[in-house]
Amino acid sequence: MQQFGLYLGCNIPFKAPDIEQSFRKVFPKLGIEPVDLEGAGCCPAWGTAPSFDLTTWCSLSGRNITIAEEKGLDVMIGCNSCFGILSEAKHFIDTDPKRKKAVNEKLAMINREYKGTSNIYHVSHVLHEIVGIEKIKSKLKYDLSGLTVAVQPGCHTLWPSDICHIKESNPFEPTLLRDLVETTGASAPEYSRLASCCGMGGMRSTNVEKSLGLLKTKLLSIKEELNPDLIVTTCSSCFLQFDMSQPLLKERDLIDFEIPVLYATQLLALAMGFNPKEVAAISKVNRDVVIDDIQSEKRLI
Amino acid sequence: MSIQLSKEKIDEAILTIIANGGEGILQCVQCGACSAVCPGVRAGFPVLCRLLIKKLQEGQLEEIIEETSTWGCQACNRCTEVCPQGVRPLEVVFAFRRYQAKELAISTSSTLVQMTLYERGHAVFTDAQALRESVGLPGKAPTSAYDEKAQKEIQTLMDNSPMSELGLF
Ligand code: SF4
Ligand code: SF4
Repeated sequence: MQQFGLYLGCNIPFKAPDIEQSFRKVFPKLGIEPVDLEGAGCCPAWGTAPSFDLTTWCSLSGRNITIAEEKGLDVMIGCNSCFGILSEAKHFIDTDPKRKKAVNEKLAMINREYKGTSNIYHVSHVLHEIVGIEKIKSKLKYDLSGLTVAVQPGCHTLWPSDICHIKESNPFEPTLLRDLVETTGASAPEYSRLASCCGMGGMRSTNVEKSLGLLKTKLLSIKEELNPDLIVTTCSSCFLQFDMSQPLLKERDLIDFEIPVLYATQLLALAMGFNPKEVAAISKVNRDVVIDDIQSEKRLI
Repeated sequence: MSIQLSKEKIDEAILTIIANGGEGILQCVQCGACSAVCPGVRAGFPVLCRLLIKKLQEGQLEEIIEETSTWGCQACNRCTEVCPQGVRPLEVVFAFRRYQAKELAISTSSTLVQMTLYERGHAVFTDAQALRESVGLPGKAPTSAYDEKAQKEIQTLMDNSPMSELGLF
Protein backbone atom coordinates (compact mmCIF):
# COMPACT_ATOMS: atom_id res chain seq x y z
CA MET A 1 0.00 0.00 0.00
CA GLN A 2 1.40 3.42 -0.94
CA GLN A 3 2.05 5.58 2.10
CA PHE A 4 1.65 9.35 2.53
CA GLY A 5 2.51 11.49 5.55
CA LEU A 6 -0.84 12.86 6.74
CA TYR A 7 -0.40 16.51 7.70
CA LEU A 8 -3.40 17.59 9.80
CA GLY A 9 -2.87 21.31 10.47
CA CYS A 10 -5.10 22.98 13.11
CA ASN A 11 -8.72 23.27 11.90
CA ILE A 12 -9.24 19.65 10.95
CA PRO A 13 -8.05 17.89 14.14
CA PHE A 14 -9.60 20.42 16.56
CA LYS A 15 -12.69 21.79 14.82
CA ALA A 16 -13.68 19.20 12.25
CA PRO A 17 -12.25 15.85 13.36
CA ASP A 18 -14.95 14.07 11.37
CA ILE A 19 -13.08 15.26 8.28
CA GLU A 20 -9.90 13.68 9.70
CA GLN A 21 -11.84 10.48 10.33
CA SER A 22 -13.07 10.49 6.73
CA PHE A 23 -9.40 10.52 5.55
CA ARG A 24 -8.58 7.64 7.84
CA LYS A 25 -11.52 5.59 6.56
CA VAL A 26 -11.45 6.43 2.85
CA PHE A 27 -7.75 6.25 1.98
CA PRO A 28 -6.94 2.70 3.13
CA LYS A 29 -9.91 1.47 1.13
CA LEU A 30 -8.36 3.12 -1.92
CA GLY A 31 -4.92 1.60 -1.41
CA ILE A 32 -3.32 4.58 0.34
CA GLU A 33 -2.04 4.38 3.89
CA PRO A 34 -2.02 7.74 5.72
CA VAL A 35 0.92 7.80 8.14
CA ASP A 36 0.82 10.19 11.09
CA LEU A 37 3.44 12.95 11.19
CA GLU A 38 3.91 12.95 14.96
CA GLY A 39 4.64 16.35 16.44
CA ALA A 40 3.77 18.35 13.31
CA GLY A 41 2.48 21.79 14.24
CA CYS A 42 0.77 24.71 12.56
CA CYS A 43 1.82 25.28 8.94
CA PRO A 44 2.29 28.26 10.23
CA ALA A 45 -0.92 30.15 9.37
CA TRP A 46 -0.70 33.28 7.17
CA GLY A 47 -1.49 35.62 10.07
CA THR A 48 1.42 34.30 12.16
CA ALA A 49 5.05 33.84 11.05
CA PRO A 50 4.45 34.53 7.32
CA SER A 51 3.24 38.01 8.33
CA PHE A 52 6.39 38.65 10.37
CA ASP A 53 9.46 37.07 8.86
CA LEU A 54 10.08 34.97 5.77
CA THR A 55 12.91 32.87 7.20
CA THR A 56 10.98 32.10 10.40
CA TRP A 57 8.01 31.05 8.26
CA CYS A 58 10.26 28.78 6.18
CA SER A 59 11.86 27.29 9.31
CA LEU A 60 8.53 26.43 10.93
CA SER A 61 7.16 25.03 7.66
CA GLY A 62 10.49 23.34 7.00
CA ARG A 63 10.32 21.65 10.40
CA ASN A 64 6.95 20.12 9.49
CA ILE A 65 8.31 18.89 6.17
CA THR A 66 11.39 17.30 7.82
CA ILE A 67 9.07 15.02 9.81
CA ALA A 68 7.85 13.53 6.51
CA GLU A 69 11.37 13.49 5.06
CA GLU A 70 12.61 11.43 8.00
CA LYS A 71 9.97 8.84 7.16
CA GLY A 72 10.81 8.97 3.46
CA LEU A 73 7.27 10.07 2.63
CA ASP A 74 5.52 12.70 0.56
CA VAL A 75 3.14 14.97 2.46
CA MET A 76 -0.65 14.85 2.00
CA ILE A 77 -2.66 17.84 3.27
CA GLY A 78 -6.41 18.38 3.70
CA CYS A 79 -6.43 22.12 4.38
CA ASN A 80 -5.86 24.45 1.44
CA SER A 81 -4.18 27.11 3.56
CA CYS A 82 -1.70 24.59 4.96
CA PHE A 83 -1.16 23.28 1.44
CA GLY A 84 -0.45 26.78 0.12
CA ILE A 85 1.85 27.70 2.99
CA LEU A 86 3.89 24.50 2.97
CA SER A 87 4.09 24.50 -0.84
CA GLU A 88 5.26 28.11 -0.94
CA ALA A 89 7.73 27.63 1.87
CA LYS A 90 9.13 24.61 0.04
CA HIS A 91 9.36 26.69 -3.14
CA PHE A 92 11.21 29.49 -1.31
CA ILE A 93 13.65 27.05 0.31
CA ASP A 94 14.25 24.89 -2.76
CA THR A 95 14.81 27.77 -5.18
CA ASP A 96 17.08 29.93 -3.02
CA PRO A 97 20.30 28.34 -1.70
CA LYS A 98 20.83 31.26 0.71
CA ARG A 99 17.39 30.76 2.21
CA LYS A 100 17.95 27.02 2.45
CA LYS A 101 21.19 27.67 4.35
CA ALA A 102 19.47 30.12 6.70
CA VAL A 103 16.61 27.71 7.33
CA ASN A 104 18.98 24.85 8.03
CA GLU A 105 20.96 26.99 10.46
CA LYS A 106 17.73 27.50 12.39
CA LEU A 107 16.71 23.87 12.13
CA ALA A 108 20.15 22.77 13.37
CA MET A 109 19.17 24.30 16.74
CA ILE A 110 16.56 21.58 17.07
CA ASN A 111 18.64 18.85 15.42
CA ARG A 112 16.76 18.85 12.16
CA GLU A 113 17.80 19.30 8.57
CA TYR A 114 15.60 20.20 5.61
CA LYS A 115 16.65 18.21 2.56
CA GLY A 116 13.91 18.84 0.02
CA THR A 117 13.08 15.20 -0.62
CA SER A 118 9.34 15.21 0.11
CA ASN A 119 6.72 16.51 -2.31
CA ILE A 120 3.59 18.29 -1.10
CA TYR A 121 0.20 16.97 -2.24
CA HIS A 122 -3.31 18.03 -1.39
CA VAL A 123 -5.78 15.28 -0.48
CA SER A 124 -7.69 16.07 -3.69
CA HIS A 125 -4.49 15.62 -5.72
CA VAL A 126 -3.86 12.21 -4.22
CA LEU A 127 -7.44 11.15 -4.92
CA HIS A 128 -7.49 12.44 -8.49
CA GLU A 129 -3.97 11.71 -9.69
CA ILE A 130 -2.62 8.86 -7.57
CA VAL A 131 -5.73 6.84 -6.72
CA GLY A 132 -7.65 7.73 -9.88
CA ILE A 133 -11.32 8.06 -10.73
CA GLU A 134 -11.86 4.44 -11.78
CA LYS A 135 -10.51 3.01 -8.55
CA ILE A 136 -12.71 5.34 -6.50
CA LYS A 137 -15.74 4.33 -8.57
CA SER A 138 -15.05 0.65 -7.93
CA LYS A 139 -15.26 1.15 -4.14
CA LEU A 140 -18.61 2.94 -3.97
CA LYS A 141 -21.60 1.40 -2.28
CA TYR A 142 -24.17 4.06 -3.16
CA ASP A 143 -24.92 5.75 -6.48
CA LEU A 144 -25.52 9.48 -6.01
CA SER A 145 -27.21 10.08 -9.38
CA GLY A 146 -29.73 12.88 -9.31
CA LEU A 147 -27.92 14.93 -6.66
CA THR A 148 -26.62 18.34 -7.71
CA VAL A 149 -23.46 19.59 -6.08
CA ALA A 150 -21.92 23.07 -6.08
CA VAL A 151 -18.17 22.58 -5.80
CA GLN A 152 -15.84 24.91 -3.90
CA PRO A 153 -12.21 24.08 -4.67
CA GLY A 154 -10.77 26.92 -2.55
CA CYS A 155 -7.94 29.27 -3.46
CA HIS A 156 -4.69 27.75 -2.34
CA THR A 157 -4.68 24.59 -4.44
CA LEU A 158 -5.15 26.69 -7.58
CA TRP A 159 -2.74 29.62 -7.42
CA PRO A 160 0.10 30.25 -8.03
CA SER A 161 0.15 27.30 -10.40
CA ASP A 162 3.94 27.47 -10.76
CA ILE A 163 4.48 26.03 -7.29
CA CYS A 164 1.80 23.31 -7.38
CA HIS A 165 3.01 19.79 -7.90
CA ILE A 166 -0.31 18.85 -9.51
CA LYS A 167 -1.88 21.51 -11.72
CA GLU A 168 -5.31 22.27 -13.12
CA SER A 169 -5.19 22.89 -16.87
CA ASN A 170 -6.78 26.28 -16.18
CA PRO A 171 -6.83 27.26 -12.50
CA PHE A 172 -9.53 29.87 -13.19
CA GLU A 173 -11.79 27.09 -14.49
CA PRO A 174 -10.84 24.19 -12.23
CA THR A 175 -12.24 20.75 -13.02
CA LEU A 176 -10.47 18.40 -10.60
CA LEU A 177 -13.05 18.60 -7.81
CA ARG A 178 -15.92 18.43 -10.31
CA ASP A 179 -14.41 15.16 -11.61
CA LEU A 180 -14.09 13.78 -8.08
CA VAL A 181 -17.69 14.62 -7.18
CA GLU A 182 -19.04 13.24 -10.45
CA THR A 183 -17.32 9.92 -9.70
CA THR A 184 -20.17 9.32 -7.26
CA GLY A 185 -22.82 9.77 -9.95
CA ALA A 186 -23.83 13.23 -8.68
CA SER A 187 -23.61 16.14 -11.08
CA ALA A 188 -21.27 19.06 -10.37
CA PRO A 189 -22.03 21.72 -12.97
CA GLU A 190 -20.00 24.82 -13.58
CA TYR A 191 -21.37 28.09 -12.17
CA SER A 192 -20.26 31.65 -12.70
CA ARG A 193 -18.49 32.14 -9.36
CA LEU A 194 -17.02 28.64 -9.05
CA ALA A 195 -13.49 29.95 -8.62
CA SER A 196 -14.43 32.93 -6.43
CA CYS A 197 -13.20 33.37 -2.88
CA CYS A 198 -15.52 32.41 0.02
CA GLY A 199 -14.19 35.20 2.25
CA MET A 200 -12.61 33.02 4.96
CA GLY A 201 -9.04 33.57 6.10
CA GLY A 202 -7.35 36.85 6.91
CA MET A 203 -10.31 38.70 5.51
CA ARG A 204 -12.68 37.16 8.05
CA SER A 205 -10.54 37.99 11.07
CA THR A 206 -9.90 41.52 9.73
CA ASN A 207 -13.45 42.45 8.73
CA VAL A 208 -16.33 40.03 9.21
CA GLU A 209 -18.77 42.19 7.25
CA LYS A 210 -16.60 42.27 4.13
CA SER A 211 -15.95 38.54 4.44
CA LEU A 212 -19.67 37.74 4.73
CA GLY A 213 -20.34 40.03 1.78
CA LEU A 214 -18.19 37.85 -0.49
CA LEU A 215 -19.79 34.68 0.84
CA LYS A 216 -23.26 36.03 0.27
CA THR A 217 -22.54 36.94 -3.33
CA LYS A 218 -21.14 33.50 -3.94
CA LEU A 219 -24.03 31.72 -2.23
CA LEU A 220 -26.65 33.67 -4.16
CA SER A 221 -24.99 32.72 -7.41
CA ILE A 222 -24.85 29.06 -6.32
CA LYS A 223 -28.51 29.09 -5.35
CA GLU A 224 -29.72 30.90 -8.44
CA GLU A 225 -27.66 29.02 -10.99
CA LEU A 226 -27.61 25.47 -9.55
CA ASN A 227 -30.06 25.24 -6.64
CA PRO A 228 -27.88 22.36 -5.40
CA ASP A 229 -28.53 19.66 -2.80
CA LEU A 230 -25.05 20.14 -1.40
CA ILE A 231 -21.91 22.22 -1.42
CA VAL A 232 -18.75 20.11 -1.54
CA THR A 233 -15.30 21.51 -0.86
CA THR A 234 -11.73 20.31 -0.60
CA CYS A 235 -10.71 23.10 1.78
CA SER A 236 -11.32 22.92 5.52
CA SER A 237 -11.35 26.74 5.79
CA CYS A 238 -13.98 27.03 3.07
CA PHE A 239 -15.89 24.25 4.83
CA LEU A 240 -15.97 26.22 8.08
CA GLN A 241 -16.95 29.46 6.34
CA PHE A 242 -19.85 27.91 4.39
CA ASP A 243 -21.03 25.89 7.36
CA MET A 244 -20.80 28.45 10.15
CA SER A 245 -21.67 31.58 8.19
CA GLN A 246 -24.82 30.45 6.36
CA PRO A 247 -26.81 30.47 9.64
CA LEU A 248 -25.43 33.98 10.34
CA LEU A 249 -26.51 35.25 6.93
CA LYS A 250 -29.90 33.65 7.37
CA GLU A 251 -30.39 35.16 10.80
CA ARG A 252 -29.82 38.57 9.28
CA ASP A 253 -32.25 37.90 6.42
CA LEU A 254 -29.46 38.17 3.88
CA ILE A 255 -30.27 34.71 2.51
CA ASP A 256 -33.46 32.70 2.89
CA PHE A 257 -31.97 29.21 2.49
CA GLU A 258 -29.22 26.97 3.88
CA ILE A 259 -27.32 24.46 1.76
CA PRO A 260 -25.67 21.51 3.53
CA VAL A 261 -21.87 21.39 3.22
CA LEU A 262 -19.53 18.41 3.07
CA TYR A 263 -15.79 18.06 2.67
CA ALA A 264 -15.05 15.96 -0.43
CA THR A 265 -13.75 12.92 1.46
CA GLN A 266 -16.88 13.01 3.62
CA LEU A 267 -18.98 12.73 0.46
CA LEU A 268 -16.85 9.80 -0.69
CA ALA A 269 -16.93 8.17 2.75
CA LEU A 270 -20.73 8.38 2.80
CA ALA A 271 -20.95 7.00 -0.73
CA MET A 272 -18.65 4.15 0.35
CA GLY A 273 -21.03 3.33 3.18
CA PHE A 274 -19.08 4.54 6.23
CA ASN A 275 -20.94 5.55 9.37
CA PRO A 276 -22.06 9.21 9.24
CA LYS A 277 -21.63 9.43 13.02
CA GLU A 278 -17.90 9.03 12.41
CA VAL A 279 -17.25 10.61 9.02
CA ALA A 280 -19.85 13.41 8.82
CA ALA A 281 -21.06 14.18 12.34
CA ILE A 282 -20.21 17.83 13.01
CA SER A 283 -21.91 20.74 11.29
CA LYS A 284 -23.98 23.83 11.98
CA VAL A 285 -26.11 23.50 8.86
CA ASN A 286 -28.19 20.35 9.26
CA ARG A 287 -27.15 17.58 6.87
CA ASP A 288 -29.38 14.73 8.07
CA VAL A 289 -31.78 14.75 5.16
CA VAL A 290 -29.13 14.64 2.47
CA ILE A 291 -27.03 12.08 4.37
CA ASP A 292 -30.09 9.82 4.76
CA ASP A 293 -30.77 10.24 1.08
CA ILE A 294 -27.16 9.37 0.13
CA GLN A 295 -27.24 6.19 2.19
CA SER A 296 -30.77 5.13 1.23
CA GLU A 297 -31.53 1.64 0.01
CA LYS A 298 -32.67 2.80 -3.38
CA ARG A 299 -29.13 4.00 -4.09
CA LEU A 300 -27.37 0.71 -3.28
CA ILE A 301 -25.16 -0.35 -6.16
CA MET B 1 -4.04 65.86 -3.24
CA SER B 2 -0.72 66.11 -5.01
CA ILE B 3 2.11 64.03 -3.73
CA GLN B 4 5.63 65.30 -3.24
CA LEU B 5 7.94 62.60 -4.53
CA SER B 6 11.19 62.36 -2.67
CA LYS B 7 13.99 60.10 -3.84
CA GLU B 8 15.00 59.33 -0.30
CA LYS B 9 11.53 58.24 0.68
CA ILE B 10 11.10 56.19 -2.47
CA ASP B 11 14.39 54.41 -1.86
CA GLU B 12 13.47 53.74 1.76
CA ALA B 13 10.10 52.26 0.80
CA ILE B 14 11.46 50.12 -2.03
CA LEU B 15 14.40 48.84 0.03
CA THR B 16 12.11 48.01 2.97
CA ILE B 17 9.81 46.01 0.72
CA ILE B 18 12.70 44.20 -0.96
CA ALA B 19 14.29 43.40 2.40
CA ASN B 20 11.01 41.86 3.54
CA GLY B 21 10.57 39.60 0.52
CA GLY B 22 8.86 41.77 -2.12
CA GLU B 23 11.67 41.78 -4.69
CA GLY B 24 9.24 42.11 -7.61
CA ILE B 25 8.05 45.61 -6.70
CA LEU B 26 10.37 47.32 -9.17
CA GLN B 27 8.88 45.37 -12.09
CA CYS B 28 5.33 46.66 -11.58
CA VAL B 29 4.00 48.76 -14.48
CA GLN B 30 0.65 49.54 -12.78
CA CYS B 31 -1.45 47.65 -15.32
CA GLY B 32 -4.04 46.71 -12.68
CA ALA B 33 -4.46 43.07 -13.74
CA CYS B 34 -3.84 41.96 -10.15
CA SER B 35 -6.48 44.22 -8.63
CA ALA B 36 -9.03 43.04 -11.19
CA VAL B 37 -8.91 39.48 -9.81
CA CYS B 38 -8.24 40.28 -6.14
CA PRO B 39 -11.02 39.16 -3.76
CA GLY B 40 -9.73 41.63 -1.17
CA VAL B 41 -10.25 44.54 -3.55
CA ARG B 42 -13.65 43.12 -4.52
CA ALA B 43 -14.66 42.91 -0.87
CA GLY B 44 -13.74 46.55 -0.35
CA PHE B 45 -10.17 46.61 0.97
CA PRO B 46 -8.89 49.39 -1.27
CA VAL B 47 -5.13 49.43 -0.71
CA LEU B 48 -4.13 46.03 -2.07
CA CYS B 49 -2.29 44.92 -5.18
CA ARG B 50 -1.87 47.76 -7.69
CA LEU B 51 -2.74 50.64 -5.37
CA LEU B 52 -0.58 49.40 -2.52
CA ILE B 53 2.33 49.01 -4.92
CA LYS B 54 1.74 52.48 -6.35
CA LYS B 55 1.80 54.08 -2.92
CA LEU B 56 5.00 52.23 -2.08
CA GLN B 57 6.60 53.17 -5.40
CA GLU B 58 5.82 56.78 -4.51
CA GLY B 59 7.64 56.38 -1.23
CA GLN B 60 4.61 56.26 1.06
CA LEU B 61 5.61 53.86 3.78
CA GLU B 62 4.98 55.42 7.18
CA GLU B 63 1.98 57.27 5.74
CA ILE B 64 0.08 54.04 5.23
CA ILE B 65 1.40 52.03 8.16
CA GLU B 66 -2.04 51.83 9.80
CA GLU B 67 -3.72 50.69 6.57
CA THR B 68 -5.70 47.53 7.30
CA SER B 69 -6.23 46.41 3.71
CA THR B 70 -3.08 44.28 3.78
CA TRP B 71 -4.53 42.22 6.65
CA GLY B 72 -7.55 41.49 4.46
CA CYS B 73 -5.31 39.79 1.88
CA GLN B 74 -6.34 36.17 1.51
CA ALA B 75 -2.90 35.10 0.32
CA CYS B 76 -4.76 33.47 -2.55
CA ASN B 77 -2.15 34.34 -5.17
CA ARG B 78 -4.62 35.11 -7.93
CA CYS B 79 -2.56 38.28 -8.37
CA THR B 80 0.64 36.28 -8.79
CA GLU B 81 -0.99 34.08 -11.41
CA VAL B 82 -2.11 36.97 -13.63
CA CYS B 83 0.69 39.52 -13.23
CA PRO B 84 2.34 39.93 -16.64
CA GLN B 85 5.49 41.33 -15.07
CA GLY B 86 6.30 38.55 -12.63
CA VAL B 87 5.91 40.89 -9.65
CA ARG B 88 4.33 38.26 -7.36
CA PRO B 89 2.13 40.98 -5.80
CA LEU B 90 1.25 38.78 -2.80
CA GLU B 91 4.89 38.96 -1.81
CA VAL B 92 4.76 42.75 -1.92
CA VAL B 93 1.59 42.74 0.19
CA PHE B 94 3.21 40.42 2.70
CA ALA B 95 6.47 42.38 2.66
CA PHE B 96 4.47 45.45 3.62
CA ARG B 97 2.61 43.44 6.27
CA ARG B 98 5.97 42.35 7.68
CA TYR B 99 7.02 45.99 7.89
CA GLN B 100 3.71 46.77 9.63
CA ALA B 101 4.08 43.80 11.98
CA LYS B 102 7.59 44.80 12.97
CA GLU B 103 6.17 48.20 13.95
CA LEU B 104 3.31 46.40 15.73
CA ALA B 105 0.72 47.87 13.37
CA ILE B 106 -1.21 44.60 13.50
CA SER B 107 -4.77 43.87 14.42
CA THR B 108 -5.29 42.77 18.02
CA SER B 109 -6.96 39.56 16.84
CA SER B 110 -3.57 38.52 15.50
CA THR B 111 -1.74 38.70 18.83
CA LEU B 112 -3.60 35.86 20.55
CA VAL B 113 -2.79 33.57 17.63
CA GLN B 114 0.95 34.11 18.09
CA MET B 115 0.66 33.08 21.74
CA THR B 116 -1.29 29.93 20.95
CA LEU B 117 1.24 29.07 18.26
CA TYR B 118 4.06 29.53 20.75
CA GLU B 119 2.41 27.48 23.50
CA ARG B 120 0.84 24.62 21.56
CA GLY B 121 2.50 24.81 18.17
CA HIS B 122 -0.95 25.55 16.73
CA ALA B 123 -2.34 28.95 15.76
CA VAL B 124 -5.82 27.53 16.25
CA PHE B 125 -6.27 25.27 19.24
CA THR B 126 -9.25 24.22 21.29
CA ASP B 127 -9.30 21.23 23.57
CA ALA B 128 -11.25 18.92 21.31
CA GLN B 129 -10.63 15.60 23.02
CA ALA B 130 -14.32 14.83 23.62
CA LEU B 131 -15.28 15.93 20.12
CA ARG B 132 -12.56 13.72 18.60
CA GLU B 133 -13.61 10.73 20.68
CA SER B 134 -17.23 11.26 19.65
CA VAL B 135 -16.26 10.52 16.04
CA GLY B 136 -14.14 7.53 16.96
CA LEU B 137 -10.69 9.14 16.98
CA PRO B 138 -8.13 9.12 19.80
CA GLY B 139 -8.78 12.20 21.99
CA LYS B 140 -5.27 13.50 21.50
CA ALA B 141 -4.33 14.39 17.94
CA PRO B 142 -0.82 13.18 17.04
CA THR B 143 0.40 16.77 16.55
CA SER B 144 2.47 19.23 18.57
CA ALA B 145 -0.64 20.00 20.65
CA TYR B 146 0.11 17.27 23.19
CA ASP B 147 3.80 16.77 22.44
CA GLU B 148 6.20 18.68 24.69
CA LYS B 149 9.28 17.92 22.62
CA ALA B 150 7.57 19.29 19.52
CA GLN B 151 6.42 22.38 21.42
CA LYS B 152 9.97 22.97 22.63
CA GLU B 153 11.26 22.74 19.05
CA ILE B 154 8.72 25.26 17.81
CA GLN B 155 9.45 27.58 20.75
CA THR B 156 13.17 27.41 20.02
CA LEU B 157 12.56 28.42 16.41
CA MET B 158 10.29 31.28 17.48
CA ASP B 159 12.59 32.44 20.32
CA ASN B 160 15.42 32.71 17.82
CA SER B 161 13.48 34.81 15.34
CA PRO B 162 12.71 38.51 14.91
CA MET B 163 9.18 37.68 16.14
CA SER B 164 10.52 37.17 19.65
CA GLU B 165 11.44 40.86 19.94
CA LEU B 166 7.85 42.03 19.70
CA GLY B 167 6.64 40.76 23.06
CA LEU B 168 3.74 38.82 21.57
CA PHE B 169 4.58 35.54 23.29
S1 SF4 C 1 -3.10 37.20 -2.69
FE1 SF4 C 1 -4.00 38.94 -1.60
S2 SF4 C 1 -3.50 40.67 -2.90
FE2 SF4 C 1 -3.26 38.83 -4.18
S3 SF4 C 1 -5.23 38.52 -5.20
FE3 SF4 C 1 -5.28 37.31 -3.32
S4 SF4 C 1 -6.22 38.65 -1.79
FE4 SF4 C 1 -5.56 39.95 -3.50
S1 SF4 D 1 -0.51 42.82 -12.37
FE1 SF4 D 1 1.66 43.04 -11.88
S2 SF4 D 1 2.38 44.73 -13.20
FE2 SF4 D 1 0.13 44.82 -13.19
S3 SF4 D 1 -0.35 46.28 -11.50
FE3 SF4 D 1 -0.38 44.21 -10.62
S4 SF4 D 1 1.70 43.90 -9.84
FE4 SF4 D 1 1.79 45.64 -11.24
